[in-house]
Amino acid sequence: MSSVDAALPAARSQEESILSGNLRDFLANRMSVAAAVVCLAFCLIAIFAPLLAPQNPYETDLLRRLQPPAWMEGGERGFWLGCDALGRDVLSRMIYGTRVSIMIGVAVVLLATVIGTTLGLLAGYLRGPVDMVIARVCDILLGFPYLIFAIGLMAMMGPGLQNIILALCYKEWVLPCRVVRAETLAAREQDYVEAARALGASRWHIMRREILPNILSPVIVVATFRMAYIIIAEASLSFLGLGVQPPTASWGSLVADGRAFLLDAWWVSTFPGLAILALVLAINVASQGLRDAFDPRLSR
Amino acid sequence: MSPLRLAERLLQLIPVLLGISVIVFAMMALTPGDPVQIMLGDSLADQAQRDSLRRDMGLDLPVVERFFRFLGNALTGNFGLSFFHRRPVMDVILERLPATIELTLVAMFIAIAVAVPLGVIAAVRRNSLLDRIATIGSMLGVSMPGFWFGILLILLFAVNLHLLPVSGRIGFGHEVKMVTGFVLIDTLMAGRLDSFLDALRHMLLPAVTLGLAMSALLMRVTRTSMLEALSQDYVTFAEAKGLSRVRVVGRHALKNALIPTVTVAAIETGSLLGGNMIIETVFGWPGLGRLVVEAIFSRNYPLVQAAVLIYATTYVLLNFLADLLYTVLNPKVRL
Amino acid sequence: MKKALLRTLLASVAALFVADAVAADLRVGYSSDVTTLDPANHRSRVTEGVILNMYDALLARTDDMKVVPELAESWKQIDATTWEFTLRKGVKFHSGAEMTAEDVKYSFDRLVKDNAMGGQTSPRKSLLGPLKDTSVVNPTTVRFHLAEPWPILAAYLPFQQVVSKSFVEKVGTQGMATQADGTGPFKLVEWRRGDSVILERFDGYYGGSPDLPPVGKAGVDRVIFKVIPESASRVAALLAGEVDIVDELPVHAIKQVEANPRTKVLATNGTRSFFIPMNVTRPPFNDVRVRQAANVAVDRKLIIDRVLSGLATPLDGLLSPESYGFNASLPKLTLDVDRAKKLLAEAGHPNGIDVTLDVANAFKDVAEAVASQLTRAGIRTKVQLWEQTTLSQTWAKPESNNRDMVFQSWGDGALDPVGIFVPVLKGKDRGNYSGFANKEVDALLTAADTEVDVAKRSKMYQDAQAIVARESPLIFLWLPQDVYGASARLKNWRPSPRGVIKLHDARVD
Repeated sequence: MSSVDAALPAARSQEESILSGNLRDFLANRMSVAAAVVCLAFCLIAIFAPLLAPQNPYETDLLRRLQPPAWMEGGERGFWLGCDALGRDVLSRMIYGTRVSIMIGVAVVLLATVIGTTLGLLAGYLRGPVDMVIARVCDILLGFPYLIFAIGLMAMMGPGLQNIILALCYKEWVLPCRVVRAETLAAREQDYVEAARALGASRWHIMRREILPNILSPVIVVATFRMAYIIIAEASLSFLGLGVQPPTASWGSLVADGRAFLLDAWWVSTFPGLAILALVLAINVASQGLRDAFDPRLSR
Repeated sequence: MSPLRLAERLLQLIPVLLGISVIVFAMMALTPGDPVQIMLGDSLADQAQRDSLRRDMGLDLPVVERFFRFLGNALTGNFGLSFFHRRPVMDVILERLPATIELTLVAMFIAIAVAVPLGVIAAVRRNSLLDRIATIGSMLGVSMPGFWFGILLILLFAVNLHLLPVSGRIGFGHEVKMVTGFVLIDTLMAGRLDSFLDALRHMLLPAVTLGLAMSALLMRVTRTSMLEALSQDYVTFAEAKGLSRVRVVGRHALKNALIPTVTVAAIETGSLLGGNMIIETVFGWPGLGRLVVEAIFSRNYPLVQAAVLIYATTYVLLNFLADLLYTVLNPKVRL
Repeated sequence: MKKALLRTLLASVAALFVADAVAADLRVGYSSDVTTLDPANHRSRVTEGVILNMYDALLARTDDMKVVPELAESWKQIDATTWEFTLRKGVKFHSGAEMTAEDVKYSFDRLVKDNAMGGQTSPRKSLLGPLKDTSVVNPTTVRFHLAEPWPILAAYLPFQQVVSKSFVEKVGTQGMATQADGTGPFKLVEWRRGDSVILERFDGYYGGSPDLPPVGKAGVDRVIFKVIPESASRVAALLAGEVDIVDELPVHAIKQVEANPRTKVLATNGTRSFFIPMNVTRPPFNDVRVRQAANVAVDRKLIIDRVLSGLATPLDGLLSPESYGFNASLPKLTLDVDRAKKLLAEAGHPNGIDVTLDVANAFKDVAEAVASQLTRAGIRTKVQLWEQTTLSQTWAKPESNNRDMVFQSWGDGALDPVGIFVPVLKGKDRGNYSGFANKEVDALLTAADTEVDVAKRSKMYQDAQAIVARESPLIFLWLPQDVYGASARLKNWRPSPRGVIKLHDARVD
């Protein structure tokens, strides 16, 4: 098969130069870069959570129930953003929650992208009945109201991390699938694919080695901006009762559980809410920059 | 769109709806829980009572038979009796559907009203500070969990400022004869401006919460297609002719730029319809979404099945409509 | 011209932000919508709460649970299986027709005869026990005929309302679901599905039970049950002055509601006990010492004070202290971590045990609080969340579910052990999640079923409680109060221990 690779050096190097040019475009957009830095900061918080958290996020103390933030009357040093209904430190729970929320986002997007890209490639390259079946499956999933499915899943299998990821993945792969299918349809008519076919490459090889690398940038763009959506969706599921299992907390479950106290202990859900706002906004802005730089066609 | 293509699209509906029927039926059948036990709760009940309820609910039949009965009856629009309302499911659903549709449409209207001006400004002043502010502004609504944003709005506008009501569809001082089920239309038809405004006040917060979440996407679409339109020859030509910038943007570019926005809005309306149960719960909005969520928790099988099929049909039809719209507005496209 | 237009526009915008004028309406922020308006076609307390304001029953209950006449003037027992009721004269339905014995017979036939409701059977049938037939003696007298003796018939009659025969025959069972014609203090104006039920005063009301003063017409012009499912929004509506009563006020909102000069908190002793069944059919809880250890590892007082705002009574057994047959001499359960650890060690767990506590979403908070206390005493408890119905289904068969503990509650409006002690602690009964089966207890409960001597029956239940306290199949927790929020302008209304909101006497300033 190396003969096939050798036959197509031109396409490859051209692709690389486009990529580095796009990166330059992205870096030139200061707002997007700032947003990317914010995203990175949250990732670092997630990784170093045990070092950063001032308290044990699972340690309950009913005497500290709904204790206000440190700067307010009744607050306490060390419990900077106050305590929740069971006297646990809100800041520490948020720091650990960063891990859960980002983990859910990454896991869902990764899974959805892998599934969607595979099926999209198959549909776009093989066309015919395979394409039709995949298209109908997509229609069914999109037509089935998504929150109803999520609640049904929760009733069937109970709340918990895996089930949240499952519920979020369920139709998330449809979008990358459709993008990849469209790109593949266009790519399969391109010269380099024709050439590979003429050289006797297998279908699998063409899909994996020829088409896939060339359509990756729109897939990555889609993946990043769906990440923002997933983090919000996880919070919605928490509201409906499909949350993580205690004592773990995600940002979504912190906001959902704390909403009851918004009137008297606003800090319990406001800070996690602001954290979601900051990260999701940053992801949205950064992915916008990515889209503008990497894939002008997709930038709607 | 040719008649043949139209027929094909309509035929595609069949496997989709069939697949959704199977999924929803299986989902409810596989979920643990006994509707009879839920109905009786902790209170006194003997075996005879359980048996009669099970028979009334049709749960004494084997699962396979229940499925085919459900399919057969669904074809005639009969979805059976709601377990807990003990009335035809369709009656119960149709009483709640208009509220959901109305909220969705108003939310979409708000989304467009926010997104289009922002998108146009962002495109005309491309890469300026204004563009950036508009972009971030349109993203705010989509960057917060809807329920949290909604409760914050309630606390601010209803509890602290006393400007708007917390929940409901219309105040109780207003007696509205429901004709269409859409309270905004019915109040206007009755010539009651005060009732209309009151209904509008009730709708404002939930619609804004939903609408702002939708505006980021629409703003983006508008901005992009506006940029595209502005770079077209006829715009350059018009400008060269000395027409004012406002006129060029307003008359020529905007008209073409709105086509994708409208199409995307139509598609998004479908997902908005099936996804507003959270906002309906927060604002006590008497729509279908809340009813369905309650129905899942109480294992009200017939209601969930019927509602899912209604959502699915609406979604598919809206997509279809979006395609049509796109073709009609933009004759260059052939579907 | 333009100016006028502008002025109109401004006025409209201003009107958008002006709240409704407050009328002599009483508004209730209600946690869920009713499912039907038909008194015979539901099993829901929420639904009953609204229906009670439109339909009266033969008998009623006072707040201290005494049964008093309502639509019946008096009643007597003719023999072991026959009861006779004399009806009040001059009682009118909302439609104007006079209530007669025929209506009463028709109402109870609908309830107890098979297929009597448009081909279906009333879900309330078994709430009338062995009642099999009703006969009309004369226009103001009816007789109830039972298949076997049932001494508690009178206690259950306040749960069944009287409907109008001619009205049901006119609108049918389907029509009854959305229309109403009762004898109660309010008549139906409109049911806006999912949104509200609007009632107005019935001026032809006979006044209600003389044993429940004041007697007379309702105190407010209109009553509106407004559905607000989300509790944060319900509290917000109360604080914003949009409603006068909210049900299920969350305990953490109490401080806010009390601090606001325009709102107040009303509470009454509830009838729902909270407890944690331990699965006695498998280790580690098949050892009574482990179960006793768990019972002294929980600091009920701390949780009640801190999490439940003090609005609950700690329990040493399953029954409410107000219940019939309550055993007041059960050993007091207080926190004793050392004793818990000693009991665990005796049971062969010197290093403690690891268990899971199952709980439905709604009670996550308190379950986590209990779990952390158990953990401190060596019963290391992990909390697992479930959807409510799935949880009940899983625990219906504790002997085969491989689970350890579950957070459970059981409500019994009648405050009789039959409604709570029997289902939760009798072997294999419908609410027995611990798998507890004790021959002595079962024998006592079976004997009590048919015992007519009130004192003897009470003694049987007390003996059973003593055995259960020793065997400790449950961690006994607390009995929360039912908490309502109310506006300061609400007068003459107290929450009922039955958990329904009856507004006949209520007034607003």
